[in-house]
Amino acid sequence: MNSETNAVKPLALRREGEGLRIEWSDGASTHATWRQLRKNCPCATCNEERSKPADPFRVLSAQEAAAGPPSPTAMKPLGHYAYQITWNDGHDTGIYPVELLRSLSESK
Amino acid sequence: MSGPMPGQKISLPGVKHVIAVASGKGGVGKSTVAANLSLALRAAGQRVGLMDADIYGPSVPLMFGLGLVDQTKVPFPIEKYGINLMSMGFLVDPAQAIIWRGPKVAQAVGTFLVQVPWGDLDFLIIDLPPGTGDAQLTLSQQAPLTGAIVVTQPAEVSLIDARKGVSMFQEVRVPILGIIENMSYLETPSGRVSPFGSGGGRKLAGEIGVPLLGEIPIEPLVSTCGDSGEPIVRKHPDHPVSMAYAKLAQTVIDETAKQPDSGGLPTVQL
Repeated sequence: MNSETNAVKPLALRREGEGLRIEWSDGASTHATWRQLRKNCPCATCNEERSKPADPFRVLSAQEAAAGPPSPTAMKPLGHYAYQITWNDGHDTGIYPVELLRSLSESK
Repeated sequence: MSGPMPGQKISLPGVKHVIAVASGKGGVGKSTVAANLSLALRAAGQRVGLMDADIYGPSVPLMFGLGLVDQTKVPFPIEKYGINLMSMGFLVDPAQAIIWRGPKVAQAVGTFLVQVPWGDLDFLIIDLPPGTGDAQLTLSQQAPLTGAIVVTQPAEVSLIDARKGVSMFQEVRVPILGIIENMSYLETPSGRVSPFGSGGGRKLAGEIGVPLLGEIPIEPLVSTCGDSGEPIVRKHPDHPVSMAYAKLAQTVIDETAKQPDSGGLPTVQL
């Protein structure tokens, strides 16, 4: 069958400390912090925000201010390729392909 | 109709394999392939459903000799020739255009999958519309697709769009079971003629490292049978084209049996 079938897959994912522990089909075990995942949200809005110079006067919304450090309230699998994370600040448009989760994670 | 929420994973517990028949380009014969493949799988003893995901241009009603259906009298899916069918063409008059924006199309496709009681099936074949838009994305994200079959003509103009279809499935990690080259050649008294060139399907299959599942010849009878509501596999099961579909059905049965896991990704323990 084609190479996609053999692509590395997550076998188990769980909250560990302030981040996400992923066990992979190639035997790797990686950890990504929620902060790192939230900061690299791949949605169009966040991509655009990242492309702009940082605004030193940006005022946090009430929900963002109340949320505290980033933490997911839900993380749903989408088909064979990605997870959609709903964050505690209400943001939920980021769809994280498996490859992105792997690249944002560190082996440890 | 109310469909699944965006991002909601659809589960079809009674369906063993969900197969999308796709192509980047329109007019290459996806619906003809999907209808005849469904009938060939049925003839091979499989329980089969065919879902027409082409919301703007449904073809399944015509090919199965059906039209508008009164939902209050006949429950969905509609059964014809032993196949469970669902199509937008059962709900809207063929002369009426469906002028919808993308999200509505995605919702309709999700509704067909979730709300239609498909029952216990070995194969649910999904006839996708051309392109890489809302219907395709909804299915890729929400349906438990076992794999996709990409239909192309041999001509380069078809291959360029078929590659886009392939690339979409690779992006969303749906395995490609193989390529079908439709309208491959024409048998004439003076020999075989290839009006659209030859070897395109084989070339594409080679590029992406998947099998070429079949080369289906041009045969006027295929179109006549489809238009008259009884696809060739059903009407002329001994015709060489029908035999090609029977071989294709067996290949699909064998290839899907090799798929290790048709389930999606594991859930996250938060």
